[in-house]
Amino acid sequence: MHKLRAWFLLPARLVNFVCFVVPLCIVLAYSLLSRGVYGGVEQPWTFENYRRLVDPLYLGIFLRSFWIAGLATLLCLVLGFPLAWFIARSSVRRRTLYLNLVMIPFWTSFLVRTYAWMFLLRDTGLINTVLLATGIIAEPLPLLYNNGAVLLGLVYGYLPFLVLPVYTSLEKIDLSMMEAAADLGARPITAFWQVVVPMAKPGMRAGSILVFISCIGTYLTPDLLGGSKTIMIGNVVQNQFTAARDWPFGAACSLLLMGLVMLFLRSDEL
Amino acid sequence: MNRRRVFLLAVPGALAGCMKGQTRRLNVMNWGDYIGSTTIRDFEREFQVKVRYGTYENNEELFGKVMGGNSGWDVVFPTQNRVAPMRQLGLLAPLEHRRLPGLANLFARFQKPLWDPSLEWCVPYMWTTSGIAYNSRLYHAGAPESWKDLWDERARGKLTMLDDVDDVFGAALAKLGYAYNSANPEHLRRAQQEIITQKRLVRAYISTEARDQMVAGDVLVAQTFATTAQLAIDGNADVVYRHPKDAFAVYCDCGVILRESKRTELAHEFLNYTLRPDVSAKIAQTIRTATPNEKAFASLAASEQANATLYPASEVLDRAEWPLPLPPEIVRLRDRLWTEVKAG
Repeated sequence: MHKLRAWFLLPARLVNFVCFVVPLCIVLAYSLLSRGVYGGVEQPWTFENYRRLVDPLYLGIFLRSFWIAGLATLLCLVLGFPLAWFIARSSVRRRTLYLNLVMIPFWTSFLVRTYAWMFLLRDTGLINTVLLATGIIAEPLPLLYNNGAVLLGLVYGYLPFLVLPVYTSLEKIDLSMMEAAADLGARPITAFWQVVVPMAKPGMRAGSILVFISCIGTYLTPDLLGGSKTIMIGNVVQNQFTAARDWPFGAACSLLLMGLVMLFLRSDEL
Repeated sequence: MNRRRVFLLAVPGALAGCMKGQTRRLNVMNWGDYIGSTTIRDFEREFQVKVRYGTYENNEELFGKVMGGNSGWDVVFPTQNRVAPMRQLGLLAPLEHRRLPGLANLFARFQKPLWDPSLEWCVPYMWTTSGIAYNSRLYHAGAPESWKDLWDERARGKLTMLDDVDDVFGAALAKLGYAYNSANPEHLRRAQQEIITQKRLVRAYISTEARDQMVAGDVLVAQTFATTAQLAIDGNADVVYRHPKDAFAVYCDCGVILRESKRTELAHEFLNYTLRPDVSAKIAQTIRTATPNEKAFASLAASEQANATLYPASEVLDRAEWPLPLPPEIVRLRDRLWTEVKAG
């Protein structure tokens, strides 16, 4: 029986080993090597890349990335939970429709959707044109190329990652529990907080982790919607592998990011 | 078995040419939107070959793809400052000039360029400069003459700079009177101070997206490549492109043959094809950039030859600098200074 289980798990283990463990080991090895003149890595082995990371400049960028990703996750929760609740409480037929609507944006690439936001937010974009034409504003609002635009892009892009898991846990909740709570004297608000929210927690946690991890590694959104004026740790990593031609430092950056994210998620569990 | 072979040999050459395995194949990778609409098809038809054509968006992407030495590509088009690194990494095959008679069509300037004086490794393909584009109707601070005009308070919120460490530092260095391509740490530190001062005015660091925003009038003044500016001018006649009075950069993308290529003969034929005056002229007209090919230039309409955006006068071009590869420690310093600007 045990043997059979091992055999069934073998393909998954193999994929995990080849596609996750091996690349991670390569990244680890790169982070301990020296940079080649034109990219790539060279001997000797060194801890220099990690030492360089202990620097207010890079730590500040890490901190800022955590802050932006955290804020985006929080916004996704605030917006996504009511939406998931609404979908879960709709009739079964409607539910399928709504879930499809949540997923439709995935039919086009993230890049295209980000460009679409640029067209909406520009000075001569749809939003400013309408506001100007209706006389609500006299000067175009600076909607694009700031932190607000970056946050908007992140929340928009990753909201479905939160809605779907939260929906899954909400959908399973038996409404008679709410009635039972009401019978025991709880007001609707209390019943919601003490009955529904605790049961939705696994979905909220899973969704938040998905959103947070996607946001913290992002580099496209700060470039396109932030006009490259702000920098997140994803941009630092990308830059090391491109213009700066410093692969070992980029590898060290991405490993530190992974470590910090793991620590962060651990501390959340405790 | 024997009979079939005899049969195969008897098939007319043209038909054999269409059969898989018989057709000569060439793998060409170039920048996106950087070739004439029929260039590849015409070449395939004339030489009875099949071309696999791929694209990349920047030099780093190209580097990443070919660095391993088994990318499967034969001909690629790096910018001039990547030619020496590619050569030093052993990625390039030397050119055989007897197979490239078209080299004689190039402008003298491009026959002996600084980065490869006898064109041992690369064939100049198309070139452009980086300068200042502005909206002559809506930008009220007057026509920008030199880089310092991009530090004008009146440009606030209407100015974009290239998202490119070479050119942002280049402009600041030139403003200070240093070389556009300076590798002096002290110069770079001073340039960083200038860039930090300027950042308050900058709307965004963007490259090709500047075109649409110049056309729409969101951006009124920008550091751009001449080719981007030309596309903006085509969309909005108010846009004007100037080569700054101080130094500016000139970039040339060059065709090279990768050392891994097993089809160097055909690769030479392709490079020589791009040197034909009519071919080169058609490419330059399609992508709205400048050809280094004198005979191609001569075949352009007088109005195109007089286009100072793409073809600055010789004495203007004398002020230009070719960005060349910098030593690794300078690249590292500059990247750090640039990260500080962005994190600030």
